[in-house]
Formats: sequence, C-alpha cells, structure tokens
Amino acid sequence: MNKYILSVFLLLSSFLLPLSASAADLEINTPAIAAIKSSMQSRHAQLEPHYASGAVGLTRDGLVAVRDANAVPLKDRQALNALVAAENKDRNALYKEIAVANQNPQWESDIRNTFAQKWVEKARAGWWYQGASGGWAQK
Amino acid sequence: MIKPALLFGLVLFSLHAHAVSSISIRVGHLQSGAGELRDLKLDYSLASNRLALSSRYREAGDGDWQQAGLDCARLLNRAAGSWQCEQGRLQAGQIDVQFALKFVRKTDRQTQDIRAELALTKAAFSDAAGLRAGENVSGNLSLQASRTAQSWRWQLEADWTAGEVFWQPFYIALGGKRGEGHSLRARGVMDAQSISVDDARLSLFDVGAADFSAELRRADRNLHHLNLRTRKVNLETLYPLILKPLLEKTALNNLEIAGKGDLRLMMRDGEMKSAQLNLQEADIEDRNGRFALYKINANLPWDYDQPQNLKLAYAGGYLLRVPLGKADINAAVNRYALTASRIELPVFDGGLRLKDISAAWIDKQWHWHLRADILPIDMAELSRALHWPAMQGKVAAAIPLVTYSRGALNTDGDMRFELFDGSITVKNLAMQTPLGIAPRLSADLEMRNLDLGTLTRTFSFGAIEGKLDGDVKSLRLTNWKPVHFDAAVYSSPGKYPKKISQRAVENISSLGGAGAAAAIQRSFLRFFDQFNYDKLGLNCKLRNDTCEMSGVESTSEGYVIVKGRGIPSITVLGYNRNVSWGDLLARLKRVTAGNSKPIIE
Repeated sequence: MNKYILSVFLLLSSFLLPLSASAADLEINTPAIAAIKSSMQSRHAQLEPHYASGAVGLTRDGLVAVRDANAVPLKDRQALNALVAAENKDRNALYKEIAVANQNPQWESDIRNTFAQKWVEKARAGWWYQGASGGWAQK
Repeated sequence: MIKPALLFGLVLFSLHAHAVSSISIRVGHLQSGAGELRDLKLDYSLASNRLALSSRYREAGDGDWQQAGLDCARLLNRAAGSWQCEQGRLQAGQIDVQFALKFVRKTDRQTQDIRAELALTKAAFSDAAGLRAGENVSGNLSLQASRTAQSWRWQLEADWTAGEVFWQPFYIALGGKRGEGHSLRARGVMDAQSISVDDARLSLFDVGAADFSAELRRADRNLHHLNLRTRKVNLETLYPLILKPLLEKTALNNLEIAGKGDLRLMMRDGEMKSAQLNLQEADIEDRNGRFALYKINANLPWDYDQPQNLKLAYAGGYLLRVPLGKADINAAVNRYALTASRIELPVFDGGLRLKDISAAWIDKQWHWHLRADILPIDMAELSRALHWPAMQGKVAAAIPLVTYSRGALNTDGDMRFELFDGSITVKNLAMQTPLGIAPRLSADLEMRNLDLGTLTRTFSFGAIEGKLDGDVKSLRLTNWKPVHFDAAVYSSPGKYPKKISQRAVENISSLGGAGAAAAIQRSFLRFFDQFNYDKLGLNCKLRNDTCEMSGVESTSEGYVIVKGRGIPSITVLGYNRNVSWGDLLARLKRVTAGNSKPIIE
C-alpha cells in the first residue's frame, strides 16, 4: 500500500515538475538574454543553409549538432564545427540566463526541453531533428 | 580484431579453368563477425595479368549493402613472395583510391622480412559522418619490417604531397606545389603488447618539425610514453593548422600569432612528467580586439616533481582597450600550483601591481587569489583609451584580496578614483565571465566632493557650480549595461558657492520631458544666465528597466530636483516618478550631445 502511494506521488510529481517550468516566462528579456539572442540571430543566416542541407540537425536537448558533414566541402567543415560550437555555447547560455531571469536557476533543464520542442516546431520542412530515441528524423 | 570467420547460408565456389587463360572465382555469401559479403567475383587474366575483384558487402550492425571493387591493371608475381599491383584502384563505399603497390615478403625459418611501397594518387575517403575524410590525396608510403623471435622491427617513411584532409578537428590542405608536403619518418619495434617508436620526425611544411619517440600500448591504444621536441616552429602557420582547432571552445580561438616557439614534452606511464615551452619574439593578438601582447619572450618550464621558474616578458599590448606597457614576469610553478611574490604590469604612468599571487589548476579550471594595487594612473590618458569623456585626475586602488574561481572574480577592498577634484570609491567589485557573452559586474560606488564645474564641463551638461556627493548601491551590470541599482546624487554638505546656469536648468528639466524646459523659455526666467540654489539632488532606483525617481524633497505634484535660493530663485521639479531607463538615457544623450559645442557663458 505504501509503495502504491509512493508511486502515485512520484507519478504526480513527475507531472507537476514540468508544470512548474511552464510557468517560466520564456520571453523574459534582460541585457544578457538580448546579447545572446542577437548573437544567435546574426549567426542564423550562416546556419540556415546547413539545416536545409541536412549537415546540421536540431538535437533533442535543445542544441544543434553536425549530422552529416558530407553535405559541406572538406575545407568548410572546420568552420561548420566552429559554427555549431558557438551556437551551442549561446544556446546553453540562453537557457541558463532565462532560468536565472525567472529567478529559478533549477528550471534550466525544463526550459531547455521546452526550447528543444519549440525549435523543432519552428523548423522548416526538410530540416533534420533528433527524435526522443536519439535517431534523426526529417521534418 | 576479426572474429573467426563463420560461413553462413549458401556458399558457392566454382573454379573455371578455361585451359590456362584466366581464373574466375564466385562466392555467393560469406559472413564473419566483421560483416557480410555477397556476390563476390574474382577474375584474373593470365594473359594480361589483370585482376578484377568485386563484391557487395555490409558491415556488421549496419543495414546498407555497398558495392566494393578492387582492380589491378597488372598484377605481377615475379618471384615467390613478391607481388606488384600496377594501376590499382580500390572502391568501397566512400573510399576511392588509385594506387600502385609493391610488396615483397621473404621468409626463412627464423626470420621474416616484408617490404611494401604504396603510392596513392587522388585518394578519396570518408567515414559515414564525414568527420574523417580526404579528397585528392596523393602520397607515398614505404614500410619495411623484419620479424625476429617475438617482435617486428619496422621502419616507415610517409610523404603526403597533395590533397586535403579533414580529420576532426583538423583540416590540412596541400596545393601539390613543388617542395610542399608533410612527412613522417619513423622506426621502432612492435610486439604483442606495444608499438614503440624509437626515433621519429614529423615535418610539417611551412610550420616546422618535431622529433619524437613514443610507446603505444596495443591493448587500450593509449600513449604510454612520449618524448617530443620541436624545432623552430613558426607560430603564424602552426596556429591555424593545429592550435586554433584545439582551442575552438576557449577565448583563444580567434587569434593572430606571429613569432617562433618551441615545445618539449615528456610523458611517462600515461602521465605528463615535464614540459617546456619557449616563445621567441611572439606576437599574440585577439581578432575580436579584446587583448594583445607583443614581442613576447618566454621560458615556461614545468616538471611533475621539481618546482620550476617561469619567465615571461613582453614589450606591450592591451587588455579591453587598456594599453599594457613593457613587463617582466617571474613566477614559480610547482606541479599544479603557480605562485609569484610580485608582478608589475605598467599602464601609462602607473600600473597594476600584483602581490602574493597564488593560483591552482584544480578540476580542469584555474582558481587564483592575489593582492592588487593600482599605482596612480592618469585619467586623462585612460579615459581617452577607453573612449570616455576626457577626465582629469588619477585612479588608484589598494585591493587586499582578489579571488577568481569558476569564472567569477571577486574583490575585497576599495578602488579609489581621484576624479573631478573629489573621489569615487568602488567597493565590493565582482565580475562573472568577464570575457564571455554576457559578462556580469556588481559593485557599490561612493562619490564624494566631486566638483560640479569640472563634471558638467566634462559631460557638456551646462554649467553648475558646487559640489556633488553620490551613492550607488547594489549596482549590477549585465553585458556592461545597468540592470539594477539604487542611486542617489546630492549636493555635498558644507559651504561653497552654488550656482546653476540657465542651460543646466533646461537640461535637468528636459530629463523629465520636454514640457518643463519649454515652460522656462516662456517665462521671464529666460533673461537670467544663472541662478543660486540651496541644494540639488536626484535619486533613481533602477528595477526592470524602470527608474523610480525622487529628489531632495517631495511635493504634492512631484519632487524637487533643484531647490532655489535668493532672487531670482528657481526650483526645478520632476513630475514623472517612473521613467523608462532607455528613455532617460536617450534624453541624457540628447542633452549632452546637443550641448557639446563650446558655448561661451
């Protein structure tokens, strides 16, 4: 009986935890968030052709990854890596800053998950994203 | 590595001996732990010596069938153990290589000698993800090995003359010009446990050479021992080729480097034992303009067991626009700890004096603490360097303790700026990720007896005579922009002349909106150049981009910013209690920019 109550409690809390993060204001703005967003926006034009070619895909943890470097000439693959690394640095910083701005730093991983879904929803047809199991799928 | 071959399914084996003109072999299906083969065809013409081998294959665990083919225009077997493939071509999946191979194997009871020479032209290869790939690669590989009892003694010469390779994270391209090319010469011994390299030289075209010896354990493929010594490496070409890809995630990923450097490394039992880095006349400049050091000469030894002395000198440079003068730095390094009793970094006529420096490398991060003094630096020069309005005065500081750990810089002590004939004291200064994308800074400021005449002239505000005190508490900047503070500026206590010009009155009024300034213009007060005042003051509490304003006194309509005295008396009122910080800044900018022309008063 006790076990049953415990598992109900765990089940409830697993529903409640993401709910608490959904109360987070994802559109909140601070100078840090503005700086990160503008850095990401200025990089987007460079990343876009790579999303379209399938060279870069959206990962399930809200980042981007080199999915198939074959779509890019050899000499540009290093720059592709750098682009992905810089984008991920910004994305990690963004999730952290939004959590901090919401005065709940522990929400970071929930905010990350919400963004991961948002990025996939906003992705254009033909872009690649990582499914829940880690495999790549094309939108 | 390859598991014992298992034969599954139907195996067809047929040998057609059409007289003695050709040999053909067909195998239907072959499977081993490494993968599967289907439709294997081998044809060898005894007349032309042409060999053609083709098959479909599938790697274990991988779903896709791929076509593979090996072709030798002439396959010669002139003597026992001697094979030669001319105009060979290997195609398999993402590999397409044109080659010529000579292979000789001689055996007797005790020994075995092999000698292989491989010439590659226009080789292309890639792994599935494209992270280890080459195109148009040409080069020669020569390997000699002889077996004695338990081990092979080997010698290798590899020359890479043309083509491009991306081997995550490195990209190396060669144009195929004469003399251009990278090479590796090595010899050593291989036995069941390890591969040892006794004597090797790696030469990178236009960069330099490295001599090394090493031992690689075969079981875990780990580097066990290494001795490496480079010779006159050109840092300018080394950086983009080798260093930049390795530093991609650090603040050093966008540098311009020149000069010469040398490195010595010694690794024993998988652990770094000693290292030494020398730099000769090296220049390092951040392409993002954050820092630079010029004419660096350095001798940086390190030893796991013995404390070493580090020396680093530079002729100049800059850090976040602040120019750095010639400096000579000495420090001691003891395994993962760095100490120095005193380092002086000149800045203009003064500088930074660091004392009792102690740093430690723990968990792949630096943690350090030190005492810092700012020896008086001329503000006129510093403000020019920082693109601030021209200021007179000095900045000096004595900070008993500065600590840096996990990207956070904290100070315990006061920084004192002697400015505008008064002083500004910065307390509790702390910074987080100063070189990151969103640096944070927090501090408390205390301003005392600032001369309003100098201050208003500096910021072209319109003349005010008097003295100003101020307190900014819990100032927080993110990305160098204020996000939070409680600020108050007010007339300093004491007796001194207090006069405010017509223009300053207009400017202060216009901070609260256009209406107030216009009101003065319409009244008789416009005929007076200046007024006496009793006191002035303005407070702003910045929260959520909104400044909650108040003044020296409260009235029913608003708050008093300047309280007049005598005749004609003028009182400047503020009406808006909440002003957007962005609007306020824009107005301040307009006011100071509009008044920047010299006006004779």
